[in-house]
Amino acid sequence: MNQVRRLLPDFGTTSSPTSVERLKERGFAEALRKVFAMSGEDIISQITESGIKGRGGAAFPTGLKWSSVYKAPGETKYVVMNADESELGTFKDRVLLEEDPLGALVGVLIAAHAVGAKKAFCYIRGEYRDVENRMAEALDTLRSQGWVGPDRVDVQIRRGAGAYIAGEETALFNSIEGKRPEPRVKPPFPTIKGLWASPTLIQNVETLANVAVLFAHDTEWFKQYGTKETIGTKLVAISGHVKQPGVYEVPFGMSLTDILNAPDLGGGIAGSGRLGAMLLGGAAGTFLTPEEIAKSSLDYASLGAVGANIGSGAVMVFDDTVDLVGVTTRLARFFAEESCGQCVPCRVGTQRVVELIENDGIQSRPQDLRELGLAMRDASICGLGQTAPLALLSLLDRPELRQHA
Amino acid sequence: MDSENGTVSDAVKVLLHDIPRERGQLLPALWRVVEQYREITPELIGAVSESLNIPYAEVYGVASFYSLFDNPGGKMPVYVCTDVMCMLQGSENLKHAAESAAENGPVTIRESACLGQCDYAPAAWSGARVLRRATPEEIVSVVKEAGQ
Ligand SMILES: Cc1cc2nc3c(=O)[nH]c(=O)nc-3n(C[C@H](O)[C@H](O)[C@H](O)COP(=O)(O)O)c2cc1C
Ligand code: SF4
Ligand code: FES
Repeated sequence: MNQVRRLLPDFGTTSSPTSVERLKERGFAEALRKVFAMSGEDIISQITESGIKGRGGAAFPTGLKWSSVYKAPGETKYVVMNADESELGTFKDRVLLEEDPLGALVGVLIAAHAVGAKKAFCYIRGEYRDVENRMAEALDTLRSQGWVGPDRVDVQIRRGAGAYIAGEETALFNSIEGKRPEPRVKPPFPTIKGLWASPTLIQNVETLANVAVLFAHDTEWFKQYGTKETIGTKLVAISGHVKQPGVYEVPFGMSLTDILNAPDLGGGIAGSGRLGAMLLGGAAGTFLTPEEIAKSSLDYASLGAVGANIGSGAVMVFDDTVDLVGVTTRLARFFAEESCGQCVPCRVGTQRVVELIENDGIQSRPQDLRELGLAMRDASICGLGQTAPLALLSLLDRPELRQHA
Repeated sequence: MDSENGTVSDAVKVLLHDIPRERGQLLPALWRVVEQYREITPELIGAVSESLNIPYAEVYGVASFYSLFDNPGGKMPVYVCTDVMCMLQGSENLKHAAESAAENGPVTIRESACLGQCDYAPAAWSGARVLRRATPEEIVSVVKEAGQ
């Protein structure tokens, strides 16, 4: 067995995902009792000790974020669960919420208690209607058990409406506030000025699920998996040319080859049967060659060595017949479409990239593309503009990937 | 205000009666309007603006930002994912099948970026349901159903 089941419930789990029995079976009821008797400081020091990092893409240390919100001056504080999940190739939060919706919600309640928030929001993309219903049912269960409500933590679900940029944390705040979901300039950071200018803790679904399983067990248990640098497990969403696409939980440090080929994971390359490339991390991810894949493992240092990042955990697999320039063109159009248009380097840059590729092809003016990419990285307000050219640049750097194009 | 506007504005007031008149309720309010009317017309923006006491331009600015609210004509939208992972699994065929089935009917076919269902590519979505590993036959029947 290469897969682990911690964030995802054991295969032997019998209770229905939103039931009170599930709350008990997963140890979440006990975790809530335990945590609500603890001080914020104690909770946060356990989070810090566990080494959990954000699973939404940026891998920011979770304990540090909690502590910053905890210490921030302000009567009113908020917790937000980011379930916007609109990154290409990313569907792990969907599967996590389908299979164990109570976990992430228990994480929200623990977070709220720890930082002193009375109000929380769960922001979920508008296309996940079934998942939203399940989340609402799980909230009802928590409400029936007295964990959710005006005297504890009030939790509201907010449904997005088809804007990729709304997943960016400050854009998401604007969306909840009823404004256009345009990112704000940082600093101030959300931990100091987030929702309605109050200190706000925003975390990805998977990060919060990690918090719930941590307190359902203990730090020692939590540290059983992972590497020295990165503790714990990661959900990877494998799609494309593998025999068994899906979401799998694996320890940090697992080799990419195993992720693709193990019989209980990707199950081997499909399509032509020959691995062509991997796009790791989403639309703003990095293309990797078969050689790079062969020597890399799922860890920040290992991937950093080949210029890649785990990002949200999207593992997109292409056999050797796929036209990667075509793929990159599609990505470029996506970013041009989704740029909120607030800042020039991104608004104009994403358009220029599309024009350059469509008119001249990616090979003809590589230097211009590179300079444009760097300008966007350095001068855009938010992560969208900063990372939009990454996949393209990674393809420029790997001429061998363009041979069959 | 002409009588037709009056009717719409009254209907929207009733539709939104239990939504607090707060700026933070604008997105839930717009969702409710879209679920009822399938589109957001200038008239409906005016009605929401009145109902929640938010300036027209502000409501327009927000409503026009979101792609799921962008459905001029108010036909029933069926979204076909044409993003990278679905493209590899034949989303073009799916889209064409859906488009032919929808022609001149009450359903409109829209392309969508990744729907978060890439493990079941190609995917489509109609609000009421997600189609996983969708075949052209299936999407045709969904288009027919959605039109009824
Ligand atoms: C364009 C853009 C889209 C994003 N979309 C998401 C998303 O859908 N879900 C998510 O958790 N984080 C998303 N993020 C990252 C968030 O801004 C934020 O870093 C994250 O929610 C923090 O949670 P974490 O520390 O638990 O990862 C996005 C960032 C950018 C720049
Ligand atoms: S970088 Fe792009 S998406 Fe981000 S704020 Fe600027 S224009 Fe908007
Ligand atoms: S690319 Fe179609 S669902 Fe992800």
